[in-house]
Parts: sequence; C-alpha cells; structure tokens
Amino acid sequence: MSAPEIVLTGLRKRYGATLALDGMSFTVRPGVVTGFVGPNGAGKSTTMRVVLGLDAVDEGTALVGGKPYRSLRCPLNHVGALLDAAALHPSRTGRNHLLWLAYSQGLAARRVDQVIEQVGLTSAARRKAGGYSLGMRQRLGIAAALLGDPPIVMLDEPFNGMDPDGIIWMRGFLRSLAAQGRAVLVSSHLMSEVQDTADHLVVVGRGKAIADAGVNDLIAATSSGRVALRTTAGPHAMAVLAHAGATVVATGSDTITVSGLPADRIVTLLNRSVVPFSEVSAHRATLEDVYLELTRDAVEFRAATPTEVTR
Amino acid sequence: MRPALHAEWTKLRTVAGPGWLMLGMIAATVALSAAAASVVTCAADGCGGDPTKLSLVGVVLGQAPAAVLGVLVISGEYGSGMIHTTLTAVPHRVTAFAAKAITLTGVVAAAATIAVLGSLLAGRLILSHHGFTAAPGRPALSLTLRATTGSILYLTLIGLLSLGIAAVVRNSATSIGVILGLLYLLPLLAQAIGDPHWQRRLEQFAPMSAGLTVQATTDLGSLPLSPWAGLGVTAGWAAAALVAGGLLIRTRDA
Amino acid sequence: MTAVTTAHPAGRRTTRDGFRQVLHAEWTKFRTVLGWVAGMGVATLLVVLVALLAGVSSDQKGSPPVPIGPGGEAVTDTCYFVHQPLAGDGSVTVAVSALDSSIPQGLGDLRPGVVPWAKAGLIVKESTRQGSPYAAIMITGGHGVRMQDNYVNDRAGLRGPVSAASVRWLRLDRSGDTITGYAGTDGTNWAEVGTARLSGLGSSVQVGLFVASPQVVDGMGTTGSVSTAAFGDLRLHGGWTGGEWTGELLGDHSPSFAGFPGNGSGSFTQSGGRFTVTGAGDIAPAVRETLPTGGTLNDILTTGTFAALIAVIVVGALFITTEYRKNLIHVTLAASPRRGRVLLAKAIVLGAVAFVAGLVGAVLAVPLGARLARANGVFIFPVTPWTEMRVALGTGALLATASILALCIGAIVRDSAAAVTSVIGAVVLPYLLIANPFMPASVANWLTRVTPVAAFAVQQTLVQYPQVASHYTPYQGYYPLVPWVGLAVLAGYAVAGLAVAAVVLHRRDA
Repeated sequence: MSAPEIVLTGLRKRYGATLALDGMSFTVRPGVVTGFVGPNGAGKSTTMRVVLGLDAVDEGTALVGGKPYRSLRCPLNHVGALLDAAALHPSRTGRNHLLWLAYSQGLAARRVDQVIEQVGLTSAARRKAGGYSLGMRQRLGIAAALLGDPPIVMLDEPFNGMDPDGIIWMRGFLRSLAAQGRAVLVSSHLMSEVQDTADHLVVVGRGKAIADAGVNDLIAATSSGRVALRTTAGPHAMAVLAHAGATVVATGSDTITVSGLPADRIVTLLNRSVVPFSEVSAHRATLEDVYLELTRDAVEFRAATPTEVTR
Repeated sequence: MRPALHAEWTKLRTVAGPGWLMLGMIAATVALSAAAASVVTCAADGCGGDPTKLSLVGVVLGQAPAAVLGVLVISGEYGSGMIHTTLTAVPHRVTAFAAKAITLTGVVAAAATIAVLGSLLAGRLILSHHGFTAAPGRPALSLTLRATTGSILYLTLIGLLSLGIAAVVRNSATSIGVILGLLYLLPLLAQAIGDPHWQRRLEQFAPMSAGLTVQATTDLGSLPLSPWAGLGVTAGWAAAALVAGGLLIRTRDA
Repeated sequence: MTAVTTAHPAGRRTTRDGFRQVLHAEWTKFRTVLGWVAGMGVATLLVVLVALLAGVSSDQKGSPPVPIGPGGEAVTDTCYFVHQPLAGDGSVTVAVSALDSSIPQGLGDLRPGVVPWAKAGLIVKESTRQGSPYAAIMITGGHGVRMQDNYVNDRAGLRGPVSAASVRWLRLDRSGDTITGYAGTDGTNWAEVGTARLSGLGSSVQVGLFVASPQVVDGMGTTGSVSTAAFGDLRLHGGWTGGEWTGELLGDHSPSFAGFPGNGSGSFTQSGGRFTVTGAGDIAPAVRETLPTGGTLNDILTTGTFAALIAVIVVGALFITTEYRKNLIHVTLAASPRRGRVLLAKAIVLGAVAFVAGLVGAVLAVPLGARLARANGVFIFPVTPWTEMRVALGTGALLATASILALCIGAIVRDSAAAVTSVIGAVVLPYLLIANPFMPASVANWLTRVTPVAAFAVQQTLVQYPQVASHYTPYQGYYPLVPWVGLAVLAGYAVAGLAVAAVVLHRRDA
C-alpha cells in the first residue's frame, strides 16, 4: 500500500438543486491531525461520505492509500471512521456491535476487548447501546474506528456531546494517534474545538476548500491582526499611520486601533516621525478570526441582522 | 464473503427481535394449522378435502413474521443509519446484500422446517380423530414430501421477497405494508373479480396463491398452476425483488 | 360573563387556544410530510381502483331480469300457481291435508325430507307478472300456518304440521285493497292470522292455490327441493263465482330460480273438489344464495377498503413512531407538555384525514363500480339512498378508526414495524378467515363480532330474513352485527388503545 493518505481531487456532487461539493480538493497527510472546518452545510459530511464510498460523486476522485474505498478488502484495516455515533441498534450491546464489525473484517473477538479498553468503555460494554449517553456513543464509535488498527482515521464531529473531561481526553487521544504516524482527519463546525488539536487546517465553504494550510501559517497570513496604540498625539499618529497604508480608528480619547500593519513597523514609523506614545500592544489573530474571515462569504445559513429583520 | 456472512449472522443473533419473530412464525403456523384441522367437519360421505394442505394452512399466517424479519434485516439499518457502518465495513455492496440474503435464507429455512413439520404432525394427530385415517384420505408419500419441502421453500422465498422490497423501499413500516398487501390483498382481489378467466390469471400471478399450490396433494387438476410451477412464480417474485434491491443498493447513495 | 371566567380569564383562554395550537401544529406536521399525504391519497385510489376492477371484470351480459318486489327489493317469485281471474271482492277457502317434500340425495335421487319453508296455500296476486303484489295464507313445512304478503311481510298463525289427521283450513277475504287471512281446524271456526293492504290492486286479480318449495341449507351449501300438497274443499264465496282453473309454473326462467331438482316439473291434478299440486321455488325476498349472480355495494367496496386499510394503518403508525425514531417527540412534548392532548390532537388530525380519504373513495367508487357492473349485466341488490350514504360515511369512519388504532399501538410500542405488523395482523387475519368460503358459520360469525373486522359490517347492504333459510355468513355479505354496532366494536378497540397510549405516554419517559 502506498502512503496512508487521503487524496481528494476535484470532487463535485449535486443533490437536486443544491451543489453539495463544488471542486473539493485536499490531501490528508500522515503524522498530523488535520482539522476539517466549515459552517454547517459546507460539505464536510458529504466529503467524508464520499471518501467512504457511501455517496458517489458526479466528478472527481477520492483515494485512500491510493485506492478508491470501495475497492478495498477489509477496509477497516485501512480507514477507521466515525460518521454518526447514534447509528446503532438500540437493543444490541456495545460489545456485540463491535463484534459483528470485527467479524466483518475477519478480526477476532480479542481485538474488540482491546479497543473497548482503549476508549475506556469497559464498564458499559455489555449494556444495550440504546441506553448510552451521547459521550458513550462517541467512545463506542471511536472504538469501532480503531478496530482494524487503521493508518487513517476519520472522525465527523467527535467532540459533539462530550463533557469537558471527554474533550480533554479526545484531544490527547487524537494527538497520540497522529504521533503514531497515522493520518487523522477531524471535522468540526466549532473552531475552538480543533484549535488546540489540529496541526493542519482545511477550511471549507460552499462545497470547496477555501484554505488548506498549517495552523500557524493561517494565523500569520490573516489580515485581521490589530494593534492597540495609546498616545496623547492622536491626530498626528493617525495621519502618519494612515499614510503608511494602515486602517486607523480612534477608539477613545487617547487610544487608537490600527490594523494592516505589524506592531514593530508601527513603532518604527512613530519613532521616525517623533510621535509620542506610551503603549503598543499587538492583538494576535485567533483561529476564530481566521475562520470568520475566510468563511464570511461562504456561510449559507447566515442569521439575518437585526436591521434586516425590522425591515 | 465469509467475514460478511459471519458479521450478518452475529448481527442477527445479538438482538432479540429475529429470534422472537422466528418463534412467532413457528407458533403462528402450527397454531393456525391445528385450529383449522380441529374445526373441519366431515360429511357422512367423506371429507373430500386435502388433509395435507389443511395441515399446512398455518403457513398463510406464518409467512407474516417471516416477511417482517426479511424487512427488518435491512430497513432497520436504514432507520438507525447503521447501514452506513455496514457499508463502510463491507464496501462491496452486492456482497453486503448477498450476505444478508444468505443469512436470512438460513435462519428462515431452519425455523420454517420446524414450523412445517410441527404443523404436519399436529394436523395428523388432530385429523386422525376426525376419521382421516382411512386409506383414500392419505395421499402418496411423494406428494406429502413435495408439500412439505415446498412449504419450507415458500416461507424462505417470502423472507427473500421481503428483503428485496425493503431494500427498494428502505422504510420498515411502508415495506411491511407493501409486502403484506402484496401477499394478502391479491388473493382477495381475485375473489372480487367476477370474470373467472381473470380470476385465474390473478391467482397464477399472485405470489401467495401461486406459491401455495405446492401444498396441494389432491384434486391437482383444479389448481391455477402445477405445484412446482406455482412455487416458481413465488421464486420469480423473490428474484425480481432481490435484483431490484441489489441494483438500487449498488447505485444509490447509502 | 360569569364569575368563573372573570376569575381566570387569561388561564381559560390559554387552555382553549392551547389545544387549538396543538391541533394546528399536528395538522401542519401531517400535511408537510409528502409520504403521509401520498399514503392517504393511495388509500382513496385503492378504494376506487378496486371498485373499477370489480366492475370491469364482471360479465353477465344477457342474463334474464331479476324480479323486483313492490318495495323495490330483489325478490324470487317462483311457485306452481293454480289460478283463475276474479273481479271485485270475495272470499276463497280450502282445506290442506298434506304437504310432502323431497330433497335430492346424491345424483338426482329424490328422497322425502323436511323443507321448513315449503309453502302450500291460497294466494291473491295482482297478476302473474314477476314481482307483482300479492297476499297469501299458507301452511309451511316446519313453521305452521303463515300469512305473507308482498314478499317481505310474514306473520305466524296456527302452529304444527299438516297431515290427514290434522287438516288445516285456510281462507282469504278480499275487500278492495285489503286482504285478510284466516286459519282454522274445522272449516267453521276461523281465527284471523293477519291483514295486508295491497295498494293499487286492480279490480281483477288472480286467485288460487300455490305450492312453493325453496332451497334448503345442506352442510356448507344449499340444495333444491320439490313439494307436493293435497287440497280439498276449494270454494269461492261472496262476489266471486268461479270458472276453470289453470295451472302454471310462475317465474320458470327467473335468475333466482335454480330449477327443479332431478329434472322434475310442476303439475296439478284435479278430481272433483280435490287438487294435488307439485311445485318448487319460493315467493320471498331474494337472498345471496337464491341470487348468487347478484352484486352488492359490499362486493364493490370491501376489497378496496381492505387495501386502503393497510395504507392508512401504515400512515397512522408512522405518524407517531417517526417522532420516536428521530427524537422529534422531545421537541413535540417540550412544545406542548400535556402529553394526552398531543395524542388526542394527533388522533383527530389523522382520523379526519383518513375519514375524508375513505369517504371520497367510497363516494367515487360506489357509483362508478356499480355503473360498470350494471353495464356488464350484473344485477346489484338495490339499496336506499340512506343505505348508500351510510356505506360511504361508514367507509370513511372505518378507515379513520383503524388509523387511530394504529396510531395508539404505535405510541405504545414506539416501533413502526411492530405497530404496523400487529395492527395489520389484527385486521388481516380475521378477514382472511371470514373471506374463506369453507369457514364454519359459527366461527366466522364469532370473528365478525369480536375482532376489528366487525367494522366491515358498516358496508353491508343485504338484509337477513327469518322466513328465508340460507347461510347468513360474512362471506355471503351478511354480518352478525348491525352496521354501526360493528363499527363500534372497532371503535372500542381504538378507544381502549387511546386510553392505554395516554397512560403509557404519561407514565413513561419520552
């Protein structure tokens, strides 16, 4: 088998009048956690279903380890996936759910007990899955994804329904999977969930990847870094900085917010023009800012602004 | 294929529903057969009926649980979304569907054997009290054997027909409505039709009235179809439903 | 405004409007799911299509016309009639000393037997036309002396059979439109049995002796019979002065007459005042077995209704189990926490839609199906407009009640497959059993009393007559319960289901 990667090229899919995927292309590499983020309806779940061969695309290819998913023998040994944790038969026990999955791949029952222990579900494994909490179902789903010890793991919204302890556990768990050299793709519609977990980000909107970069590169590249400046010579400072191409807004009697220029450049400019100032504080852009800026045009279901509502 | 079969069998045995349905099939078949055998009355000049067919009349009722199991094996997974897990584990869809069909065949055939043999035994015991022991009432062994194996095959085919329909319809309640309507309504429709020619056509076409001709051991000339040909019609229905279901599972998004 | 309403004006309004809101919400839920609306449309379509199929597929072109009685009902008007025309008022008396019947055993071998409704006596008939008005006094094979008129009316007189040792004297008086029947044991003392008014009876009528011998119930079927009666002392009184007697078999080619058993024929012999008359057939209302080729609204509607039933049961079960499946029930119960009212609102919405589906289906199916069947020569048992309306409304009510039952079972078991299977099973199994012609009448009648199929009684249009021996079974179109009581049995199940579902919804966590 070639490198354990997911390679998506130009995926296009239409459901009736909606274009769900519109040229989705990116690669998920081994050894890193790739965050897959975008607003609801942007095409995250559809992409994952296409990767797993559940939905057929109109155009493009989705390869896992160099092959289409539907050509894999014992696919759970290549890709482990969690799509919908609630997709269980309510009266089958968690262990038995894993058991039939294991048998479908020719795996032994021993492996089932290993993954149950790995996700910390031992005490509940012999209870009916219908009685599980959402968090327990997520753990069961992750156990199912790990059954075949796959080099590629793909999880759709794994943080949903998890308590804070569970979220911390999940983050460490995902990082450890990547550290073992696996390719890990984790989708979320909440930026804060992947901020501390992902090394690489794919941001999607309207059915295509609108950003595909390392987390740090993305933050650095954003234009929304702002600098707060405290000065008694407000008008003079604004003129100097505006001349240098920055966007300047007076936010108080002696405070100004500058955007479009990095902090060190602002200090140099002010010193050269002899403008007095008492404080310069750079406000580092968060992933949230990056995300909002990137997806601003891509949000399909944007809430109406209050003015629009009253009109 | 073997891992897929092992998985499907594990699915069936790890929930209570299929077991209860098969028990229900056995109970319904034997109970209705026994009840029918005990209410039948013989006139002074002989019984004139078909004792083997009478002892197997419970199949008419027992086919309902078999149909429900056939439906639930697949539509239950569409309802919960577990079909995604199944097709992720076995992405070759025809294999996944065939594994379901084969497992279902084994389970229904095993339960149907118990149901049919139990009905025959109950019918024999009850009818012998009604004077059926006389020689003219006893059909040839080969005919009884045909009725027995035919009834077991019939129940199995109904399970497969239901599986195929459910794979097309995907919703369990609607599938059950469609299959029970197909089984029970068409024979009633034949009664509502006045023209004997059309009546016979419909009886040759309907999966239940055609298939159950295999139970006849006397008066074969009055049947709409010869026994094995009748079962062949039911098999044709099952095959058509399975092919349609298999094609749709292959081409449709899961 | 009363004190109570001023005390809690806001609360009261909220309560009342609250239910309307729940109802509105459930209606919106229902009409916005295409599959459910389509399911109800399918129900209507099935009722209509099956009726059309039943109508188109029948073929009885060229069959002779069915006699219709003065009351508009189908009748059988066959007997051996020894008669002469008489004008004005008068009286006729006769002594009957024997009534012997024969029934075929095996192939055409006639043996003496008991035919309880074999008839021999005097009759005043408007004419020999089939279905014409009449009044008659007679001795019967097993029911003593009877006075019958215009096919449907029947009154009992002297009990006991007739023989040479116990001769029965019969007398009919005509005075205008009024015919009075008397019976006695000696020819001098007369006891009035009954009086009939035959409106529009002309001055000249046919008067004489008749012998009829109807089919008898034999095991699962019926068999024809033939009877011979011995009459003596036939006398005309009052304004009537007699001429020659002529004998003929009335209604020889009527579709409601199955013919003489054993290639026999009717006859009469006269010697002095003594007559021996042999006849078959019956003068009575037609029932299913005497007119097997006749169709009913029941035939046109029931199979289609049964099909529609499956559709509304599926929709009814899905209407609630889908909410459990998708946990929408949490949203529903959060929006209206009073669970019993949610169930009631669902039942009202579902029932109303199913009622309309059934009503529309029946209103379209009955005239279309009946017209097609008539065009193919099928005789449809006549019904009054009221009956037709009852059948249409009843069909709607039947579908509504069944769908509500499915809803309740769905609320109790919370699984669509289980709910659909159990409700269809509860309706299908007894229906299949009663639709089997070999089912013993006792079992079939019991099933149509206690199981949900009792509700199909609402579609029956045939009437049972105690003076006609026949198999009155559901298979023949005769239900043991009167229409609305039959429907009430199903409604009982639905109400019980509602009560259990309400309790269960209340007690259980959603």
